[in-house]
Amino acid sequence: MTTWLIVGAIVLGAVALWLLLPRGRKAGRRLGAVLGAIALGMLLATVPPLGGWFTQGLFWLLAGLTIASAACTVSFRNPVYCAVWFGLTLFGTAGLLFFQGAQFLGAATIIIYAGAILVTLLFVLMLANPRGQAAYDRRAWEAPLAATVGVVLLGLFSTGFFSTLKAMPQQTPAQVAAEKRQPPGKYAVSALGAELFSRHLVAVEVAGTLLLAALAGAVAVVAQHAQPGQVIPRPEGTVPPAREPNEVTVR
Amino acid sequence: MTALLVKSVILLGGLLTAVAYLVLLERKVAAWIQDRRGPNRVGIPFTKIRLFGLGQPIADGLKFLFKEEYTPGHVDRAMYTLAPLVIFTAALATFAVIPFGHVVPVGGKAEPLVVAPGVDVGILYVFAVSSIAVYGVILGGWASDNKYSFLGAMRSSAQLIAYEIPLGLGILGVVLLTGTLRLDGMIELQAQSGVWLLLVQPVGFLVFAVAACAEAARLPFDLLECEQELVGGYHTEYTGMKMAMYALGEFLHMLTASVLIVVLYLGGWHFWGLTGTGTEVGWGTALLRVAVFWAKVMLVVLGFMIIRWSWPRFRFDQLMNLAWKVMVPLGLVNLVATAVLMEFWPRALTEHPWATAGAMWALALGTVGLWAALSPVGSQSQARRGPDEFSMRRVETPAA
Repeated sequence: MTTWLIVGAIVLGAVALWLLLPRGRKAGRRLGAVLGAIALGMLLATVPPLGGWFTQGLFWLLAGLTIASAACTVSFRNPVYCAVWFGLTLFGTAGLLFFQGAQFLGAATIIIYAGAILVTLLFVLMLANPRGQAAYDRRAWEAPLAATVGVVLLGLFSTGFFSTLKAMPQQTPAQVAAEKRQPPGKYAVSALGAELFSRHLVAVEVAGTLLLAALAGAVAVVAQHAQPGQVIPRPEGTVPPAREPNEVTVR
Repeated sequence: MTALLVKSVILLGGLLTAVAYLVLLERKVAAWIQDRRGPNRVGIPFTKIRLFGLGQPIADGLKFLFKEEYTPGHVDRAMYTLAPLVIFTAALATFAVIPFGHVVPVGGKAEPLVVAPGVDVGILYVFAVSSIAVYGVILGGWASDNKYSFLGAMRSSAQLIAYEIPLGLGILGVVLLTGTLRLDGMIELQAQSGVWLLLVQPVGFLVFAVAACAEAARLPFDLLECEQELVGGYHTEYTGMKMAMYALGEFLHMLTASVLIVVLYLGGWHFWGLTGTGTEVGWGTALLRVAVFWAKVMLVVLGFMIIRWSWPRFRFDQLMNLAWKVMVPLGLVNLVATAVLMEFWPRALTEHPWATAGAMWALALGTVGLWAALSPVGSQSQARRGPDEFSMRRVETPAA
């Protein structure tokens, strides 16, 4: 019964997503929103109860916010709005992580994704095309393919999640979380750090090296355009201010 | 639940009142520095009692409320409304984990004076929430649909992002020394050892204070506004309560910066021979600690204000040079020195605090002295005359 509910919800969600994606015409977008809401409701109906009404309400609120703003991220046409909706998705995710007691991951999600990466993305969007009016910015490129890939991923995740849930002893997720949570006073952060720098040391080092290489590459790309001794003339038609020369020489 | 509500109400009410009066204090300090009287007329309404101008914040608030809130027709309405809300909410939300005292004895239990006492990643939470403020700037500038606002937003967000790195480096030094991310834990460690971290982390303090000043956009770094020479900034198109939210957010940022400086480097509620260190306290000691804490915060705020009215504004390239070529290297030096200390003498701070402090100061002065001897500091504030050794691009006048 539950399995068929999930399969139905996922297929319905895919159709809704395809209808919602900006395909260049307005027809069906409202229908897509309604279908998406139904699919979300069906998925929620399969989630086992989590304990008290407060916990339950908070979880559903955060989860619903995350999913709805993720749908808005892909379905809005103005790229700046998409970025802001994506920011809201990140907040929902961080809220869910806080809710699960993973405070460090929640804070890190906001600092790294919302505070740094998304801001840089906004910079690029605004500087490249402040109004976001270009057709290639306002259309989804491969709407059917994107919806299909989303379905497959969601199906895989749900299958994995429910098979794990079945294999576990009959506990509510809240009880499991309470068991797994770090005892108060012991820092989850130091445990995480110890794990990262012992078991996953190679991965951490490789990631660091990769970032360093990317940084050096970015500098090299910029430096290509400014060779030493090169003379950059002032653009034609601009008047040099007093005391400033007509051209600059790169050192 | 009750405790949470009471603490939230006290904190919110206190903060908003404090911010209103900080505006008055700012104007008074400005007047004092510029040899004027400052606002001194508004007192109790409908009477002739002036009270040294203490009624001014009420008059300011009323004016903001009743002012026409003009929204230009060309703006992106949703984002235009959202932007000031984001900056104001983020500025208030940081105070959820910031202690505003130590503990108070309620019903035989020590009740911590933090709104959310269970957050183990306190300082990271503050960092995360304050990194959201840049959205208010960037979206406000973009939504205004005005090239001056947009350029202002670009300038400001570049500054805010650049100075987050030295800010983080300064925090990391303190985290390494105290071994905790909780703000109240950091204060307790300083109280127990009796050595404020300013004494152990002089370079870290310098880096953090400068970066905090830049994040709060106080005057040597207030390229966010530049009223005089760069046509306002991201909030050129804002009026009324939305403008007030930006202004309040800015003062809240200054308050956050001051509180963090006090918590991280100036011992929080601790003062030698006055406040004690334990958690078993009566109401007298508890209130004394709150008073000591806020007295320190007010001193730092006053420092920020005096700095604001004493220094001229940086040029944009000077601002970026200071961040990337001075503050980031200094922060890294401090971080490495602290890491070495904690690796080889992990008990240095608890067992020989004063010796550690002396060693760190010697190291700091030595580093700065060596730097000064090897590369004398040149001023970039002069008009360009011929080859400029300190800029990336050498400027050459072509032969006529």
